[in-house]
Amino acid sequence: MADAKLVIVKVKRQTGPKEPARWEEFSLKWRPSMNVIICLRDIAENPVTRDGKKTTPISYDSNCLEEICGSCAMLINGKARMACSALVDQLEQPIRIEPLSKFPLVRDLTVDRQFMFESLKRVKAWIPIDGTYDLGEGPRVSPETQEQGYPLSNCISCGSCLEVCPQVNEHSQFMGAAIISQVRLFNLHPTGAMNKNERLAALMGPGGIQDCANAQNCVHACPKNIPLTESIAAVNREVWKQALLGWLVG
Amino acid sequence: MSATETQPDSSYLLRKLHSFTGILPVGAFLAEHFWSNSAALVSRAKYDATSEELQTIPFRLLVEWGAIFLPMLFHGGYGIYIWIKGKSNVSAYPWVGNWLYTTQRYTGLIAFAYIAWHLYTERWLTHGKSTYENVAQDMQNPWYLAFFVIGVLASSFHLGVGIWNFACKWGLAATVKAQQAAGRFGALVGVTFGVVGVLIILSFRFDWHPFSAYLPNK
Ligand code: HEM
Ligand code: SF4
Ligand code: FES
Repeated sequence: MADAKLVIVKVKRQTGPKEPARWEEFSLKWRPSMNVIICLRDIAENPVTRDGKKTTPISYDSNCLEEICGSCAMLINGKARMACSALVDQLEQPIRIEPLSKFPLVRDLTVDRQFMFESLKRVKAWIPIDGTYDLGEGPRVSPETQEQGYPLSNCISCGSCLEVCPQVNEHSQFMGAAIISQVRLFNLHPTGAMNKNERLAALMGPGGIQDCANAQNCVHACPKNIPLTESIAAVNREVWKQALLGWLVG
Repeated sequence: MSATETQPDSSYLLRKLHSFTGILPVGAFLAEHFWSNSAALVSRAKYDATSEELQTIPFRLLVEWGAIFLPMLFHGGYGIYIWIKGKSNVSAYPWVGNWLYTTQRYTGLIAFAYIAWHLYTERWLTHGKSTYENVAQDMQNPWYLAFFVIGVLASSFHLGVGIWNFACKWGLAATVKAQQAAGRFGALVGVTFGVVGVLIILSFRFDWHPFSAYLPNK
């Protein structure tokens, strides 16, 4: 025991949204390239706390294990991170793991991010290509537009940008940076631009772009390095033109 | 965050109005105020002449209330409402923008308290006829002096950060580079205002008129 390298992990646990929270500490055997998801799996394999008490496996979301599905965002040492890319060797121990705080809790580390999907629906974050007849080929997209859109299309809806935003909280309905950036993406596309004004109108509604206060935390937290602050500024310009001059210029 | 609602509300327009009033007229008034008060750096007489000029503008009350007091009350009042609706998290995420977010709120509140007191002492108590002598006397009180310095620095800082916010939030600076440039411009304005403001205060405190040489020789 003495020579084996150990990893100490503290997990905040809660059996349901209304149940009391508690911390459990685990001592795991170190492995090369270990990440936080591997820790949670090792605990599931042998759910015994550091002081030898039997417990239950921890509930959490994960899928791709390569920072592409967006499901494993959680608070690791107090910061919003993707658990699958959070390497144990780069983390201070004991590693504290908590659920995201801005989304309704389901159980342990599992949260419900439905809010983001509802917001994406509100802003029509899609390109309508279906009709009752063949709509034919869409317009060509210039390489320049493609280059602008590609980084925006990398969003994995992980919710990190909402988690770190001071304007997203229990008193607010702010939809957050990811949603605004998606509006920019779909308005960039020539077919998507047909619904441009509807998307901008949705961003003037409750929880719309006005709630952004430019703290710019989102851009630091985004695991996909999406230029969120540029998106917000670009969309802000479109929204106020529409809101304040729409009646003038149509 | 609560259940999504799709009913439109007035928050977009109010929020934009808050942002806009920060620059115009409130920010512009701060610039005008520092400009006219820097007359003290030339001489007492120049200051009193400038004050009288402003104190005798036609429709004075209308201008004061319409262009200064009401917009400021709105910006301050709505600013406090915005503050309460946010939830600062700078201890968990100590990035520069997040620090500015938090200090923007505290400096706004300090500016509000300071301006209220400043209006009471230099506008209300003097019936709008304050002179160099009135202000200079107030400055002899160390507490007044300290509050003046804090108020001027808080307002300057708040305007500097506000210019950066404004440029980002209206999409005037829409790339990282442009936002950095707007930030440097805001910093320049903030520092310039802070320095000029403190110089004006020193002028009153020490009867100091560094630009008196501009006056014609008698
Ligand atoms: C010296 C007087 C003041 C000046 C020149 C001023 C100017 C500004 C400017 C230019 C902005 C940026 C606008 C924007 O965010 O888009 C701003 C924002 C702000 N101001 Fe003021 N302001 C003053 C007083 C106040 C007062 C008294 C408060 C009350 C607490 C306040 C609270 C705020 C807040 C909370 C913001 C940020 C709004 C946001 O994050 O969206 N300000 N101010
Ligand atoms: S914008 Fe970035 S941080 Fe926000 S949800 Fe998308 S990937 Fe996550
Ligand atoms: S498991 Fe898919 S992003 Fe982490």
